[in-house]
Amino acid sequence: MSTASSMSACTPQPDLAQTIGRGCGANVCKCYQCKKCSNGCPVAAYADLHPSQIMRAIQLGQVDLALDEKFIWLCTGCQTCTTRCPQGIDVAAVMDELRIIARREDRIPDGAALANVLRLNADSIKRWGRLYEVELVTRSLLGNRKKMKSYVPVGRQMMAKRKIRLLPELGDRAAVKRMVSSSERIAEANPTPLERGRGRGGYSHE
Amino acid sequence: MSKLLAYYPGCSLHGSAEELESSFKATADALEIELKEIPQWSCCGNTAVHSANRLLALALPTHELAKVEQDMQLDAVAIPCAGCFNRFATSNVESQEPEKAGHISDVVGREYNGSVAVHNLVDVYHDDVGLEELKARVTRPFQGLKVACYYGCLLTRPPKATLAGDPEYPTHMEEVAEALGCNPIDWNCKTDCCGSGLALCETAMVIELVHRLLRDARACGAEAIVCACPLCQMNLDTTQREIAKAHPDWEPIPIIYLSQLVGRAIEVEESMLGLKKLIVDARAVMA
Repeated sequence: MSTASSMSACTPQPDLAQTIGRGCGANVCKCYQCKKCSNGCPVAAYADLHPSQIMRAIQLGQVDLALDEKFIWLCTGCQTCTTRCPQGIDVAAVMDELRIIARREDRIPDGAALANVLRLNADSIKRWGRLYEVELVTRSLLGNRKKMKSYVPVGRQMMAKRKIRLLPELGDRAAVKRMVSSSERIAEANPTPLERGRGRGGYSHE
Repeated sequence: MSKLLAYYPGCSLHGSAEELESSFKATADALEIELKEIPQWSCCGNTAVHSANRLLALALPTHELAKVEQDMQLDAVAIPCAGCFNRFATSNVESQEPEKAGHISDVVGREYNGSVAVHNLVDVYHDDVGLEELKARVTRPFQGLKVACYYGCLLTRPPKATLAGDPEYPTHMEEVAEALGCNPIDWNCKTDCCGSGLALCETAMVIELVHRLLRDARACGAEAIVCACPLCQMNLDTTQREIAKAHPDWEPIPIIYLSQLVGRAIEVEESMLGLKKLIVDARAVMA
């Protein structure tokens, strides 16, 4: 969805910042638009919106702008925004929370390939108790001829250097399985309390 | 004096980054750090879990930390993968926050008291071994090899979790490299992002991010880049062929693990360094 069309179709959700706060604890209302997050963001140049604009959209309850933007699916989780925020907002956690909401509401935009990679990654961990790299790479590329082609040079080099373990290793599968189901149950019943103090994530004013 | 640390390899070290495990273990052995692998360890959850299920993302590492604290009765765990280190460091802090501790221990199945220190690859050489001791163990020092020390994101950020003193301009890796006889250069991208797991789906973007930082390292005079993260190493190493296609004058730069650099200087058995597994040939700079 383009930015322009989502703006015209937008129904504001005034408590969006509170919803996000209940999920991840970050208080988006503290953002005063200094744009340090956007300036430090390695992928801002590749998306239509950058982090401080997403923070503003959340404050204004513009759920369509915040969720349907490709940005949240380009975020590498580098933690630069969280580290630099003078208000101590865990900005990277806000992006994670938007991903969680997008997944829950089935609102993953078409171009968001990362969403699929992350899902396959989590599935692999749940299945084996450890990440089975070969499974993740092959399943990510399956069905996408273009991606597969662009990854061939990397895969070829990895194989030539025998950097690929063909068979999966097992972690403590029973423990992982138990933790997956209990965490889902407990998280649903207990939202995260909102952070109140200043500067919990950043360091600029410590 | 020998020192005993719990050891968490993580999935990459048993897969695409075997050379990090073999060189790390060989150097630890030579430097009298005894490593005890956590029995039946599971994945730390990586980015996939923390962007889908917050509580599980904290519980997976806490489950391992509780094993170190209570079953192994050790006070520190060595984690050479920067990604795993970050998830453990985050869980170590957040599992002790009163509003989260109860839910985390409910999921883990027991209480973790937060007594375990989480050490990354740089910490092991810089603090567990110590710079003086490391220097004394160097038998074949580098002759001023110019290296760019690359921390990437997760060794230092966010400082609330990693406890890094200066997350935007760390220097511990440079201090280790200096103790080995290298000449660590100053450059602009040492804590920039390599694109991480997006290499799988946004390949073109990652190649651009990597190219920008490799170019900076070269421009600042580096002959090699030293790193401490399997994902950074893979992105910086595997993309250079594509960079060379787009930029015919590109001169490839070797991407070496810090443990390989240490191993070469203290002369551990060469086969343990796994230099052959690196894609850009590092033999000339490691000779």
